[in-house]
Amino acid sequence: MRGAPIKLLQRVPLFTDLNKRELQQIARLFKARRFAEGQTVVQEGSGGAAFFVIESGEATVVIGGKKRTILKPGDYFGEIALIDEGKRMATITASSELVCYGLTYWDFRPVVQANGVVGWKLLQRMAKMLRESRED
Amino acid sequence: MKRVVPLGKALDEAIFGSKAVGLGQAIRNGLPVPPGVALSGSIVEAVAAGERAAIKEAAKWVGPLGGPLAVRSSAADEDGASASFAGQHLTLLNVPSVEQLSSALSEIWWSANSDSAITYRQKVGLFTRPSVGVVVQALLDPDSAGVMFTRNPVTGADERVIEASWGLGEAVVAGIVIPDHYRIDRSGQVLERKPGYKKIAVRSVANGGTVEEKLSPELVERLCLNDDQLGELNRLAGRCEQIYGSARDVEWAIAGGTLYLLQCRAITKGG
Repeated sequence: MRGAPIKLLQRVPLFTDLNKRELQQIARLFKARRFAEGQTVVQEGSGGAAFFVIESGEATVVIGGKKRTILKPGDYFGEIALIDEGKRMATITASSELVCYGLTYWDFRPVVQANGVVGWKLLQRMAKMLRESRED
Repeated sequence: MKRVVPLGKALDEAIFGSKAVGLGQAIRNGLPVPPGVALSGSIVEAVAAGERAAIKEAAKWVGPLGGPLAVRSSAADEDGASASFAGQHLTLLNVPSVEQLSSALSEIWWSANSDSAITYRQKVGLFTRPSVGVVVQALLDPDSAGVMFTRNPVTGADERVIEASWGLGEAVVAGIVIPDHYRIDRSGQVLERKPGYKKIAVRSVANGGTVEEKLSPELVERLCLNDDQLGELNRLAGRCEQIYGSARDVEWAIAGGTLYLLQCRAITKGG
């Protein structure tokens, strides 16, 4: 077995419309990464290297010093800095022992370019975030 | 294509990274390098991805080295003349045995794909997919270790500059101590020897990793290199320049009375 478990990716909204064969291809590209409790996973303002899906544990999202939400198994994060090659928009810290599967920029981009459904889901998520930011 | 080779057979930087090829060249030229193997970027990535065949293959090669192990990154574009990834790409100095090799390789792979490494890549115009090979060597238990510049990196003077401390060279490289400072001319004449202030030594511990061990007061300001050892380092500097060219940044260690070369690279802009 190489990469992320299919069952984990099936829980990720970004990949729910993919068939099993497509999921298997994408799953092979993921690599496991463990973070200790309290460890910074991504730092706001830093360049972005990877997109992560949480397998187990929880992580806290802080934007501009303000705590926003808690991420749990099946949640994903880190895609925005990979899309525009810009800075991380949030600081994410492991609030417990955290096991993630990560996909680096160099694997993430071809996946999105080759899968319209993944691209569409990302657009939907961006639109949702834009609306939410205007409501803040 | 072989994904793992004895260090002395690492020839291609694109496959094994610059550190592995540099050490391979040192071995082929008879320099005293601790025994080790070179793992290609592709096998390191496969191990990080959890591929069983790759994990088994890496373990088969590394097993004979015993333990503990020094596991060092060797990226294809690491430590070029204009960019140094020191501090970005991980080195794991005391991996207790081959059983812990997979997680060590995974950590190193992620260090080359971390946000900080990618930020650095963007800054120096190297925003390309990293290929991170790895050098695995038997870990030394040095009496003293440090760095040596074959030419003064500050003044440009044609002299060796050596910084040394007790234990593993990590204490010098990471700036944990004020190291002893020596300058030697090419003939071996000592131009300056200035004791540092070395309150701790970095040592490996049995269950893996390293500790900062408090040193006894009489060692704190005692010079850790004698004239014979300085002479040996000067000869090593000369050999490194013959093989690699001038202006080299050398990491070395003395263990059991033997001088070892751990790394030799071009002096970068940052020194």
